[in-house]
Amino acid sequence: MSAGTAPTPTDALAPRSPLGRIAAATRSDRGAYAASALTALVFWQVIGMRFERIPTPAEVAEFFWSQASSGVLWAAFANTLDGFFVGLGIALVVGIALGLALGLSNMVRTFLNDIVVVGLAVPGVIWALLAILWFGFSFKTPVAAVALTATPFIAVQVAQGVRGTSRDLMRMSTAFGVPWHRRIRHLVLPSVMDYVFAGFRFAVIMGWNAVLLAEWFGGRAGVGFQTRTWYDANNFTGFVSWVLFFIVFIVLLDRLVLERVARRTFRWRAQATATPRGGA
Amino acid sequence: MATLTIENLTKVFPPPRKGAEPVTALGGLSFELSGHTFVSLVGPSGCGKSTLLNILSGVETPTSGRLSVTEDGRPAKLGYVFQDARLLPWRTVMDNMLYVQDSRDDKARDHARRYLAMVGLENNEASYPGQLSGGMQQRAGIARAFSVEPDLLLMDEPFSHLDAITARSLREHLQHLWQESGKTVLFVTHDIMEAVQLSDRIIVLRHGGHIHADIPIDLPHPRRASDPEVAAVQAEILGRFETMERRLEETAAA
Repeated sequence: MSAGTAPTPTDALAPRSPLGRIAAATRSDRGAYAASALTALVFWQVIGMRFERIPTPAEVAEFFWSQASSGVLWAAFANTLDGFFVGLGIALVVGIALGLALGLSNMVRTFLNDIVVVGLAVPGVIWALLAILWFGFSFKTPVAAVALTATPFIAVQVAQGVRGTSRDLMRMSTAFGVPWHRRIRHLVLPSVMDYVFAGFRFAVIMGWNAVLLAEWFGGRAGVGFQTRTWYDANNFTGFVSWVLFFIVFIVLLDRLVLERVARRTFRWRAQATATPRGGA
Repeated sequence: MATLTIENLTKVFPPPRKGAEPVTALGGLSFELSGHTFVSLVGPSGCGKSTLLNILSGVETPTSGRLSVTEDGRPAKLGYVFQDARLLPWRTVMDNMLYVQDSRDDKARDHARRYLAMVGLENNEASYPGQLSGGMQQRAGIARAFSVEPDLLLMDEPFSHLDAITARSLREHLQHLWQESGKTVLFVTHDIMEAVQLSDRIIVLRHGGHIHADIPIDLPHPRRASDPEVAAVQAEILGRFETMERRLEETAAA
């Protein structure tokens, strides 16, 4: 009798066969994500059918499509992104500069520490309202709301990173007379990148909240303004659709952009541990 | 080649806690060295060896005294090799070399390559420090220090964290580099054997940063630890150390 030619049950579920691929996918992280999303959709559909004041996924998708095809969605999104990214850019530059100063100088830390703590404690909604009072219904309002909300988070994280910079490497730089601008660029900034990313991710979420609040209370266009419009119209489908868009955008930005940028920035770690050590 | 002059140098650290006494690391140290020479500072832990190197490199400031490191009348350029390599982990070996250079152009790269080749790391310039063994990292640290073309090279127990075989190999590398470069080296070590193998002169410090002995080693370079002449000098100096320890114990007992 010949042996080893007939497929065994294990062979049938081997990863290369279609059945095996499906079996492997259900056990993978992606399978878990897909199952989680599917469960949420089914749950949403059930409660949407049960309660009149909750739109179903199909209704939301239909509304979304109408907003996208009429161009309203893209115009509002572009308007919000403008203010959001300008504000975030300001927060990043000012936050890193402030964080470096707080981390490197005891005098600056003593002088500014309480102010930064107050900045952290003020909620985004207050910054949004203050920005409206200061700048009215202008482009500066969402920019200021994002910048004021996000800057303290970046500054505090960067300052913490600077204080954690290796003293040995700082002493090495002093011993070799490395100029300050080179130390900051090649030693301090790479040391604090973990902290910058942690602060930036948090700042993105807080800033996105702030820009929408600013548009909600004092905008004439944008995602926040649209959300408010449908809320005022008592249209649940419209309101939920825009809120959902707001949430999905921030999740995708975090997963598709920030995580990839972080992986790229820290790829030296993977390379640094890729080759086995050896030799004198 | 540099001239180092130290006159009555003191360094007193503030008390480590309330009610404690200030700590005197250096209590009026004076010596001079110049030219193509290799001088080792030897002594027990806490006798001020590393403090002196930190003062020389600008990491610490002295409490009092005079200190000058000159090269033909101008301030001398310093290089430093630490106990551990102190390389930037996110930069390649070449980028670490360039970090301490005045420029990053092709000339600076060629210069760095020359020193990497001298320590046997010519094929590792694109490696990250984490990809290298401890001994290779330390060789990179030595190449970095030589590559700045220092007038005075300070070395603070550079082989103390390495295994005996690696340390032995690096001592030989160091002797060749020193002979070829003609630098002035001030080398701190706990290891009398190492000091005898490498040095033209050994300055023995005791607690409080005072010189206990200043011993010339008149043997040709390069030396091997197994050379009978080196072993004889090592035995003689160890004998002196034992005498010193006995006297200190007697003084303490009295």
